Amino acid sequence: MKSISQRTTFLTLLALLGLTLGSFALSYVHLGRWSIPVALGIAALKATLVITIFMELAVEKLTVKLSLVAGFVFVFLLVGLMAADVATRAAAPLLPHPPS
Amino acid sequence: MSEGTAAHLEHFQDLERQAHAARLGIWVFLASELLLFAGLFALYGAYRVHYPEAFGWGVDHNVRVLGTLNTAILICSSYAVATSVHMLRKGRAKLAAGLLGFTLACGATFLVIKGFEYAAHFREGVFPGGHGAFFHGKPEGLKVFYTLYFLMTGLHGIHVIVGMGILAWLLSRILRGQLAVPHTHPLDIGAVYWHLIDVVWIFLWPIFYLTPGAL
Repeated sequence: MKSISQRTTFLTLLALLGLTLGSFALSYVHLGRWSIPVALGIAALKATLVITIFMELAVEKLTVKLSLVAGFVFVFLLVGLMAADVATRAAAPLLPHPPS
Repeated sequence: MSEGTAAHLEHFQDLERQAHAARLGIWVFLASELLLFAGLFALYGAYRVHYPEAFGWGVDHNVRVLGTLNTAILICSSYAVATSVHMLRKGRAKLAAGLLGFTLACGATFLVIKGFEYAAHFREGVFPGGHGAFFHGKPEGLKVFYTLYFLMTGLHGIHVIVGMGILAWLLSRILRGQLAVPHTHPLDIGAVYWHLIDVVWIFLWPIFYLTPGAL
């Protein structure tokens, strides 16, 4: 198996710590409705770095990459359908009442 | 023993294929873990849409600095374990063992900080399921927020404990000389599991510490 260089791994550490500091600083800036998309966007970037470099997915074989793709397909189905439900609900469902 | 003639399990053609099968196995497992956590993140998203004020208030109530410190600790631990894998492949077993020891110390520090946070919540009267004096007169959504907080960070904490157990076992195997070139792939597997713990926390941190306010 090919390997990621130690230099790349170290630079990834620096990038991750930099992004963490940036995200922490941004949390004190009032971004309104953008605060969650920005914070999650930075988190997604950090997760991508960990997965491709630290977990060495960048140099893995196709079968390994496909297993992750399959996982994401199911996540999109799960989250997509749930979001569609929440976004199109007319009113919140009633809480279940125990039989008296 | 050279790379080409290294002993491998008899149902594999060579050690390289055995190592690949092991890595494929852990990635398929990680895909299932992804679904487990994605379900909880989706639940959080749906409830945050439903109770925006209470969730924003709850995030603001958590100690942002402690969450950030734990993020940095887990990132450093991930780097240490990734470097440990590189060192073991190069035959530098002692350095690899030392880095694993550092990773375990990071994991323990993370749990201690989380423990202090939980203790502070309990002193305030914040308990899972909306129990506790803290919730009297507070909005309903706050109960949901803290129940999800304890569920998601608790489940993550259990993963940290399991990950530490796996890494401690791998460390003992390195120290006994059972993990050495070319049989280094079991450490790859343990390391990938540890990185998953890091990735999950990378997403837990913004939703429970960084995004206060009602949006």
